[in-house]
Amino acid sequence: MKAWLTHHRQALISSFAQLLKTPFASLFTLLAIGVSLSLPAGLYLLLQNMTQIVGALPAQTEITVFMQNDAGAGDISAFKSRLAHIAGIRDSRFVSRNTALAALSLQMGIPDLASELPENPLPDAWVIVPSTAEPATLKQLAASLRTLPKVALVQSDEQWAQRLQALLALGRYMFTLLACILAVALISISGNTIRLQILTRFDEIEVSRLIGATSGYIRRPFLYFGALQGMLGGLVAWLAVTIATMQLEPYIHSLTQLYASPFRLRTLSIEEIMILLLGASAIGWVGAYLAVGRTLAQIEKSP
Amino acid sequence: MITLAHVSKRYPGGYEALKDVSLDIANGEMVFVTGHSGAGKSTLIKLIAAIERPTGGTITVNRQAIGKLRRGAVPYLRRNIGLIFQDHKLLFDRNVIQNVLLPLHIAGFNRHDAAARARAALDKVGLLQREKAHPVTLSGGEQQRLCIARAIVSRPSLLLADEPTGNLDSEYASEIMVMFKAFNQAGTTVVISTHDHSAIAAGNTRIIRLDHGSLQT
Repeated sequence: MKAWLTHHRQALISSFAQLLKTPFASLFTLLAIGVSLSLPAGLYLLLQNMTQIVGALPAQTEITVFMQNDAGAGDISAFKSRLAHIAGIRDSRFVSRNTALAALSLQMGIPDLASELPENPLPDAWVIVPSTAEPATLKQLAASLRTLPKVALVQSDEQWAQRLQALLALGRYMFTLLACILAVALISISGNTIRLQILTRFDEIEVSRLIGATSGYIRRPFLYFGALQGMLGGLVAWLAVTIATMQLEPYIHSLTQLYASPFRLRTLSIEEIMILLLGASAIGWVGAYLAVGRTLAQIEKSP
Repeated sequence: MITLAHVSKRYPGGYEALKDVSLDIANGEMVFVTGHSGAGKSTLIKLIAAIERPTGGTITVNRQAIGKLRRGAVPYLRRNIGLIFQDHKLLFDRNVIQNVLLPLHIAGFNRHDAAARARAALDKVGLLQREKAHPVTLSGGEQQRLCIARAIVSRPSLLLADEPTGNLDSEYASEIMVMFKAFNQAGTTVVISTHDHSAIAAGNTRIIRLDHGSLQT
């Protein structure tokens, strides 16, 4: 047990020593890994922020029901009682044609709009807030509202929501795809640096093999090196993403102020940073494992 | 200790390095393997150390059949064998004592015991004063002694030396032979391959002669 710990400690120390032995080469490798990793990490952050914006959109899940022009007060109250029996409605609000016209004239800056027009062209309307933003449910709700009497038009944001959801789904898919492609690239970067290291330490491997080193003993320092290199690369990626968000922050801030939105740009959380670092070291480890395995097999073949 | 029964070794390409060799080396014995170059001396040493596998017959070392040894078991067999090479196979990126410490690190000795053992081994070959030196600064004879120190540091029961005096002048060579004698007297089985007859110490040491891969009696 103690010997095992000693071996691992030695492997870790030798990995650090190897990194420091060639500082420039190490730095460039770390930058390459870091930049590659910062792409999916940045895209992930972008998606997370987009999801946050979508979640904060107030008008996203409203359905507006316009009544026919000849609908009277009786029809309105009938509609209201029918509305109470439809499931999936969180809130509903009646906007009379007069209220709508007043709001419109206020918005347009024409105070006597009502008196200018021969008659009020706006219909009575209901603004309905559904209890869910799920597109299929929204569609169903809109369909059932359409069947009610004296309803002229049902306008729902379901398409909007659908498009946004589809866009986000596409974004997430792209993130996964990008992450997979870059994982393969990183495995080969790691494998390649390890392969170069093995070439420079070939004598040591051969001699160790001859005096009774197990495959595990020979593999260990390289695996540690791969994992360490991956993790440091992950650290570089985290730094890159953090600097990028810090650069964007003032622009986002002035933009959100224009929209009076409480939105704040989100950076990577502790968990996400951990996942980034661990994932990066796992990828480095895999690259190292593949490279060392191949080299060991070659040594076995040519003693 | 070592038993060969009808052992042959044919390399890919058809070259037959050993043909139907049968012999026994007892525990605590000291044996010279001689023959012209290409007679199969190195192959014999490599087969005993499980660096090569036989293509025919069986070799038993320490009651383990080399031909059937799992790959994972080879390192543990080797830890009980001290290997000495003609080209020393020293590591030039570290100093003398670090070279000797390598087998102990591999076997998992703690730092304190390992250092004591490494110094004892260096003392036996007369290199204790040079422990911080780098192998490049050593003479050929000293490099060979360093290689011997690395081979004996884990106190193996078997020493295998492949042409240990091949590159040395006779004075150094006899010095090294005296060392092997001493290890043998301490109970270690010693197998030395050499084509240099003058290096074979006079006395009652057993000599195995190989000729074109066959045993000569």
